[in-house]
Amino acid sequence: MSAHASTVDPKKAELWDTHHHSHDVISTRTLGYFLYLLSDGMLFATLFAAYGVLSYQHSYFGGPTPAEFVKPWYTFAQTIALFLSVLAYGFGMNALKHKNKSGLINGMLAAFVLGVVFLVLDIHDMSHLYSMGITIASSGGMSAFMVLTQVHATHIFFGLIWILVMIAQVMTKGFTEETVGRLLTLRMFWHLQAVIWVFVYIFVYLWGYIS
Amino acid sequence: MSHGAADPTMHPEVQLSTSKGYFLGFAISAFLMLVATFLVTSHSVPPFGLLMVISVCAGIAVIAQIYFLLHIDISEHNIWNTVALVLFIPLFLITIGLTWWMFSQLYLRTMDMSVMSSVTNPAVHASAAPKMSDMPGMGSSPDSAN
Repeated sequence: MSAHASTVDPKKAELWDTHHHSHDVISTRTLGYFLYLLSDGMLFATLFAAYGVLSYQHSYFGGPTPAEFVKPWYTFAQTIALFLSVLAYGFGMNALKHKNKSGLINGMLAAFVLGVVFLVLDIHDMSHLYSMGITIASSGGMSAFMVLTQVHATHIFFGLIWILVMIAQVMTKGFTEETVGRLLTLRMFWHLQAVIWVFVYIFVYLWGYIS
Repeated sequence: MSHGAADPTMHPEVQLSTSKGYFLGFAISAFLMLVATFLVTSHSVPPFGLLMVISVCAGIAVIAQIYFLLHIDISEHNIWNTVALVLFIPLFLITIGLTWWMFSQLYLRTMDMSVMSSVTNPAVHASAAPKMSDMPGMGSSPDSAN
């Protein structure tokens, strides 16, 4: 110990790390946003659990069940609209890779239009149910069905607003560290909606249709 | 792997985008949803087998989307996203699975006795489900008065 200590010259010793370390701001933000999205996934876990325990025969209180009103091919059209929207956003991000601003904005506009198609089909579906007298208050099973599907639709709604905001920011600010970071987090958000929709479509719409 | 504030479009998370990957993610998941929808509407498979098949369709579609769209892999840049997702999956499954199990047990022990017996045979109600008669409202029902 003493031999080691004597080799340190107090006048030359570096007590502080004075080197400049570059901090990867974008990666820090995208990891943080990914963790937030996983907590959003836990929100969906609770809603899927609620639907699971409220999709028994007695949960519908003698009223309509998804088997009576789900139209698989109609909801399949919604599925394709959402998947194409996700694909368009992906192509837009590929344009960003090549610094192609118009390609990015075209991709985001296509993603926006297809997302609107998804949302309009959903609203039309819900208003059709309402016209048949099927509402969120019809039974516990219908409450669970509508809350789960409409929470997903609400995610799409806010995603569409976010897409418009990012189109405006890219047009006015260009490719800065802030805008590129936000485009990456929006990509994660938008693509995760397709992942969650697979669960909603298969285990709520299609399973509800066959049970 | 040099990246800084100079040109954010050169950041690895931007550069890992590929049109081919996004298209594959779309094509695989859209095809599997088409297969699931076709099987469900054609009524050609018995319900339990159908549930298994569409569950497998959902599983493969989700894995394809997570790999091709969310770029979850073991590369240096994405490893912590992957670790977070892998640790998230048990939480997701436990939340849904245990909740569903608890309520299915609850229904088994409460629902069939009270609902079924009072509907089909009112006389069975008091003897078959004595605990239900202790609950408020149950003891004063016309069924148990008989």
